[in-house]
Amino acid sequence: MGIDNQGLLAQLIRELVRLPGIGHKTAQRLAFYLLKTEKDEALRLADAIRAVKDGLTFCSQCRNIAEGELCEFCRDPKRDRTKILVVEEPSTLYAVERTGGYRGLYHVLLGALSPLDGVGPADIRAQDLEDRLKQGGIDEVILATNPTIEGEATAIYLTRLLRPYGVRISRIAYGIPVGVDIEYADEVTLIKSLEGRRDL
Amino acid sequence: MSLLKTPAIVLKSRKWGEADRIVTFYTLRFGKLRGVARGARRLRNRFGSALEPFVHGELNLFEKRGDSLYRITGADIRDSFAGLRDDLPRMSSAARMANLVGAVTGEGDAHPSIFETLLNGLHVLQSGHDPALTALLFQIKLLGETGFRPQTDHCAACGDGHGRMAGQFSPLAGGLVCLPCARRDRDRCLPMSAGSQAFLQQALRWAPAAVTRLKATGQIRDELEAAVESYVMVVTGKHLPPADFLSRPATL
Ligand SMILES: [Zn+2]
Ligand SMILES: [Zn+2]
Repeated sequence: MGIDNQGLLAQLIRELVRLPGIGHKTAQRLAFYLLKTEKDEALRLADAIRAVKDGLTFCSQCRNIAEGELCEFCRDPKRDRTKILVVEEPSTLYAVERTGGYRGLYHVLLGALSPLDGVGPADIRAQDLEDRLKQGGIDEVILATNPTIEGEATAIYLTRLLRPYGVRISRIAYGIPVGVDIEYADEVTLIKSLEGRRDL
Repeated sequence: MSLLKTPAIVLKSRKWGEADRIVTFYTLRFGKLRGVARGARRLRNRFGSALEPFVHGELNLFEKRGDSLYRITGADIRDSFAGLRDDLPRMSSAARMANLVGAVTGEGDAHPSIFETLLNGLHVLQSGHDPALTALLFQIKLLGETGFRPQTDHCAACGDGHGRMAGQFSPLAGGLVCLPCARRDRDRCLPMSAGSQAFLQQALRWAPAAVTRLKATGQIRDELEAAVESYVMVVTGKHLPPADFLSRPATL
């Protein structure tokens, strides 16, 4: 009988395996680490998980991580309320925020449409975003979904969904990363960079 | 470890670990295979967009003994099929073909004809042919290349080639059935008119280059779509997202 078939430890491994990016071997290694480690230290992890689940929710307006009803950006009166930047995950939101170059509001989809995996508009609650436009006061929606097939599908879908509201809809430009030679860019990246070119 | 090289089409790609991807390909030389691309999600990586779904490329990989997962060392794009990325009907139809190939093939089982058929289907889609019809045609063709070829010459249930056929398609039996068999299994058969039967036979028999001349509208299209949908569900044991997944009126 393998170690991973046994009661309490097996239960921990099963829970760890459910985390994204954690395979069975890694889960086993983490479980053994937690088993060997000091009780206080291990329980700090459990406490942190509990604190996050008890104290954090998703913002009722933009679905970013929030400590109360609304997230820090939706609560901030200094933000530009006429702009919404749409991202797939909160991690992208914080990456944009670190640049300091954007002062509008956000909308977090917590996912992306996928014709390959059958992830549809209801799964990313596209309706919530549409409802924000229905309420009015929005001039521009900036789509910052990933340059993957899922992000692409999401951007096309949302553009069609939101176009009737007559707001400006833009997609962040993507293309050649700063600091590389253009000759090394691959075909799709080059096409997209050309499409996203702008007048000087 | 041995270094391998093969033409390949990306069926799907998913995030793995911190910065990696696990990519499923259908390859010319080795059939379906899965490989890990280390660092594929980093800004500067050697794969670029070569691991995005539907991309046709030349794949370099290592086979590790005792591991079903290959290590992808490089990929050069032959055709990016960028035209399948900027239109939802085309994207969903391409996804349907890729999903079907992924679902009906086993890893490491090479069928060059499946590779060629899928590649053909993607080209036809990109050329602007009706996406849902292309998906329908190429699903029939792809099934025809596997052990799941829909039976049209004799009864798919009892094998009788001389009795009267019922004008019914049985998803469970995998083809057209005779009158007695259709009666026995009435609830689970789908009607298939003479026109639909002819379309099905031609779609199976004709070369990919000719097959796009086949047209199906109205009742014939509805019957064939219903039959293929049910049959694919029986064959794959799951509900694949339909070819009009993100473009149906109901979802817009
Ligand atoms: Zn918020
Ligand atoms: Zn029969």
